[in-house]
Amino acid sequence: MTGPDTTEHRERLQGSLSVVRPASPVEAVKFETFIKITADGSVTAYNGHVDLGTGIRTALGQIVAEELDVSFARVVVVLGDTALVPNQGATIASETIQITAVPLRKAAAQARQFLVARAAERLELPIEDFVIEDGLIRGKDNRSVSYGELIAGETIRLELADDVPVKAVSAYNIVGQSIPRVDLPAKATGELVYVHDVRVSGMLHGRVVRPPYAGVDAGDFIGNSLIAVDEASVRDIPGLVAVVRIGDFVGVVAEREENAIKAAAQLKVSWKPVPTLPDLKDIETALRANPSTPRTLINKGDVDAAIAAAAKPMPRTYIWPYQMHASIGPSCAVADYQDDHTRVWSGTQNPHHLRTDLARLIHRREAEIEVIRLEAAGCYGRNCADDVSADAVLLSRAVGRPVRVQLTREQEHAWEPKGTAQLMDVDGGLNADGSVAGYDFATRYPSNGAPTLALLLTGAVPHTPAIFEMGDRTAIPPYDYENLRVVANDMPPIARASWLRGVSALPNTFAHESWIDECASEAGVDPIEYRLRYLKDPRAIDLVNAVAERAGWKPRPVRPEREAEGDIVRGRGFAYALYVHSKFPGYGAAWSAWIADVAVNKATGDVSVTRVVAGQDSGLMINPDGVRHQIHGNVIQSTSRALMEEVSFDRTSVTAREWGAYPIIKFPEVPDIDVLMLPRQDQPPLGVGESASVPSAAAIANAIYDATGVRFRELPFTPERILRGLRGEELAAHQALPPPESRPDLSRWQNPFAGRRGVFATAAALCAAAIGIGAAVLPWRAIAPIARPDASVYSAATIARGQQLAALGDCAVCHTSVNGLLNAGGRPLQTPFGTIYATNITPDVETGIGAWSYPAFERAMREGIHRDGRHLYPAFPYPHFAKTTDADMQALYAYLMAQAPVRAETPQNVIAFPFNLRPLMAGWNALFHQPTVFQPDPAKSEIWNRGAYLVEGLGHCSACHSPRNALGAEKANAYLAGGFAEGWEAPALTSLSQAPIPWSEDELYAYLRTGESRFHGVAAGPMAPVVKELATIPDSDIRAMAVYLASFNEVSMDRAAQEALAARLESSTGTRASAASGVGARIYQGACAVCHEVGGAPLFGSRPSLALNSNLHSTAPDNLIQVILHGIAKPATTDLGYMPAFKDSLTDGQIAELATYLRRQFAPDKPAWTDVQAAISRIRQE
Amino acid sequence: MTQNTMRLTVNGKAYDVDAAPDTALLYVLRNDLVLNGPKYGCGLGECGACAVLIDGVAARSCVIPIEGCAGRDIVTLEGLGTREHPDPVQQAFISEQAAQCGYCLNGMIITTKALLLRSPHPTEDEVLEALRHHLCRCGAHIEIMRAAMRAAGHVVEAQT
Repeated sequence: MTGPDTTEHRERLQGSLSVVRPASPVEAVKFETFIKITADGSVTAYNGHVDLGTGIRTALGQIVAEELDVSFARVVVVLGDTALVPNQGATIASETIQITAVPLRKAAAQARQFLVARAAERLELPIEDFVIEDGLIRGKDNRSVSYGELIAGETIRLELADDVPVKAVSAYNIVGQSIPRVDLPAKATGELVYVHDVRVSGMLHGRVVRPPYAGVDAGDFIGNSLIAVDEASVRDIPGLVAVVRIGDFVGVVAEREENAIKAAAQLKVSWKPVPTLPDLKDIETALRANPSTPRTLINKGDVDAAIAAAAKPMPRTYIWPYQMHASIGPSCAVADYQDDHTRVWSGTQNPHHLRTDLARLIHRREAEIEVIRLEAAGCYGRNCADDVSADAVLLSRAVGRPVRVQLTREQEHAWEPKGTAQLMDVDGGLNADGSVAGYDFATRYPSNGAPTLALLLTGAVPHTPAIFEMGDRTAIPPYDYENLRVVANDMPPIARASWLRGVSALPNTFAHESWIDECASEAGVDPIEYRLRYLKDPRAIDLVNAVAERAGWKPRPVRPEREAEGDIVRGRGFAYALYVHSKFPGYGAAWSAWIADVAVNKATGDVSVTRVVAGQDSGLMINPDGVRHQIHGNVIQSTSRALMEEVSFDRTSVTAREWGAYPIIKFPEVPDIDVLMLPRQDQPPLGVGESASVPSAAAIANAIYDATGVRFRELPFTPERILRGLRGEELAAHQALPPPESRPDLSRWQNPFAGRRGVFATAAALCAAAIGIGAAVLPWRAIAPIARPDASVYSAATIARGQQLAALGDCAVCHTSVNGLLNAGGRPLQTPFGTIYATNITPDVETGIGAWSYPAFERAMREGIHRDGRHLYPAFPYPHFAKTTDADMQALYAYLMAQAPVRAETPQNVIAFPFNLRPLMAGWNALFHQPTVFQPDPAKSEIWNRGAYLVEGLGHCSACHSPRNALGAEKANAYLAGGFAEGWEAPALTSLSQAPIPWSEDELYAYLRTGESRFHGVAAGPMAPVVKELATIPDSDIRAMAVYLASFNEVSMDRAAQEALAARLESSTGTRASAASGVGARIYQGACAVCHEVGGAPLFGSRPSLALNSNLHSTAPDNLIQVILHGIAKPATTDLGYMPAFKDSLTDGQIAELATYLRRQFAPDKPAWTDVQAAISRIRQE
Repeated sequence: MTQNTMRLTVNGKAYDVDAAPDTALLYVLRNDLVLNGPKYGCGLGECGACAVLIDGVAARSCVIPIEGCAGRDIVTLEGLGTREHPDPVQQAFISEQAAQCGYCLNGMIITTKALLLRSPHPTEDEVLEALRHHLCRCGAHIEIMRAAMRAAGHVVEAQT
């Protein structure tokens, strides 16, 4: 016996048996290995394809285990590491099982054959007598030898042979079983390392900054549009390592990921103007105008004569939109550039091809580059996985350290090579007997292979558009038409495009299967029966019949008028395809047929696919559950594509950059799926990765026709398109809004504490103003500076009280700059008269208020005069602060003097003439300012007066919430009627509030205390810090403020009535019942509803109800636009949660659509906002 | 400890993290705490790939800065269970083979867990609603729903 730790044992383990083939000369190794069995009995299988999430790792393991007669658990499958696996091309066209598994299977059989022969020799027994179980060969005499023992210390290398017999299907034990996927336990527990999770020692984080021609990769401007990169613009980013620029390639590298993100967002890059794209809202025109080269794929019979003689001409055009792969995880890669051995961890679907690209990019031999493929988010074709790998290599080379690059969602959406738009023209016709006279099919498919972006951006490959001959997949219909011509018009790309699941076969089949359905209808023949007349392939016929039977298809020679259930009409459609792919003429993958049931809402245009019977003949199924899951995945994804998917463009680039603008199917929209898998275990295995997608769009279109009698020949079947079809071209007009109301009269409430001024008072004030100007030449007497007062003379209680008062007065909100030190000033305040910088109010003697005596402080607070005698501008709300009692004023002084002094110069104000003449403020004060301490109103309650003191005094609520006159003074007769501050509307707090539910004392209290009112919304913008500051104010004072403010709302509504009204408003504006019709509605569903839809699943933070939100009911859209653009990064309390900023994800046009939709949906009784787009661009500039 | 140090409680353990307070929780979990469960998907809270539990409620860690997480209890996919000892929700997803690429799986499991924490016996409609704003591109919805229903104690019939 040899123990596992002995030297002898270890030496034995060095032996191995490999099945190999000679490697290409570019490789660093001489052989490519398919199978390796080591002396310890473990089996490693190598395949050049990768697992894109379809489960082929498991299926390949089954094939190898079966052929080798080892247990499934013994086999490790290695995929897609260029240093280890054979080069078998890209993982495309559903080829892994059908094509690339073939040599692997043979290699396993060859290894087994070799080992069995050796065992026969060793045991001196005939091969026929052996029984093999999990790599143990046992003879009839019960003697046995294991694979490992047969290999022992030897290194055996067999060259892959083509003529090795493989196991009979009838002997299969592992293949054909639904073995659970090997990767899922690790995925479900966070233990699997995706490419996104690769961490290399010393790794930095990179981000790229893409050019403005987002999603376009052909044209002479590619690679030479960059004007300048301003590195100074990111100098303040902590841990920034490099800004990299090569041609149009721009990237940043930082120690920490969040800082790389900040740098990429902040980096100022200037670009040349971007050339105009064809108008891709009109796909048909754009594709017809794109230059093309016809390529005839088949020309049978006399098509022209047959169609000319047809009794019923049937020319039709079918249009397919640009669509996205839409991987859930934006692409990511890590690269470690070294002169002789660069390693790249990538999610690529074509490791070897990527390696060729990288070699070209960095001028290295392929053998010096290793691409290590890790799992990534499903890609369904060519997404940005290769792009980001190349980006990572460039950045790693620039900084000499490993760099991880993560593309943003916006970059992945904009730049992923799209599944291209496609135009299918059919000329054809029917004979008098209803048979097809001729079928003349031409397809236009603008695509190249989408070269790896860094190659184009750096100029390593020319920007001349290549043409890929990929429009020909399944271009020849499966029907045996007597006169048949098919032409593929090959053409260069318009937008960046490559292959997406189903490639051109899905659009081509949409045309083939819609057209034959139209013919059946014209001929008065059941659509399935009509197809069977032209279908000659026996496996296809079997499948079609089986699916019809499974679905309980009732033959319908004539489309019966469907009875509506309310607005809903139902219909059922059929489509069939054999997915023929790869280089023409290509070959078939699995056969697929669909019967789709739809429900169409004739009022809203909403199409729901309720059920799909999906039948498939996949040949031998290695793992039946794996096949079923592929069918499910294809049905769901292609239903999504048919119903809702379409890339939007403006005239320069892709505009859909998040999930609202490019929605994909959500759980409640997923159809029931009944999968029918034909038992064909005796037939060769076929690719199942794409087939079930191919009939989708046609089956759904045919079902919509069955439901409505209207034929739709362009995708996607959005509610707007369906309504247009049902109602003719006339657009379904949105529910008319009430006419714009005239500007409301704001003079409802008088400030109860504003003195009344008569003619004489005004005249006196004007005189004072004149004196003020005169005083310009006679400076005010300054109050002498003092040594910094000793704060210890004040009691801790006084200082604490002062701190509360400072919070009530929001001192720190204005006197602290962004990321600045507390109260050190420097924050710019934009006013209609210019920019005023808040001053340093820490007790620094030279730059703050350290030299201010109490009288100087008090004079500033009450009269708006600086210690040195200058007038202060009323952006500093001294008209309110003047109302403060002496005791409070002293406490506030005590607190401010007790702070740590901070030396910080305040920048110069930028004020326009004549407002830059400070002495004019004397006149302003005479007109608008009463420097008197608050006097309670004896007619009111004590709490009201307390509230009035807080609100009117230090709280200075009306400074923002009252409109101001031309000279910037609060209008006393429009008290709290709403104003603007810092680009945000400070809404009316009185009965003039536009909110659908009037403010009540309790709601004001809740809002001021917690930052949220159930009936109004959350504090955002400049109000969030106000509420945050109020946190230290006692409940009793907050209550008093609420009492006072509520007194300006004469409509009182008890809680029950408020709740009832809220419920009514919310239910009447809920979006669940209605179709997401239009861009705005779809963005709401994709971007907003997750946190705002009433009744949605709870998420951390609050769930502001839009139907009740003051901002949606306001006359101005500003606050809504502000919050969409900038989000809420600093809520009043963290319990409220956060809102992301959408400024970099949505275009102005999309935000305008969204804001308009939100107004219409959630404030339906209010007039539409006008000039929303202008407001957006104005607010963006601010 | 620097000015930026913040204490976070994740999967029952306290961590002192040196990061700016406005850093999204997602990046701290992934880069500082080396947790792979939460994934970056959109950065806008739209897709759900980054979901974690905060005080037992589902949260989108890509839009929540760490300054909002102080004093809160954060649980990630790793905190639910391991391959050897999976949480019942994780086990249900494994049993139903409820993923293809699995990039969205974190969000699906976390949200199902959050649902079961607040409603131990949800109906099918409640499960659909909970998962509505979790995007899956592979089309594993059927298996995910089966897994979530199974985790919720419903009997899930075998597929034929």
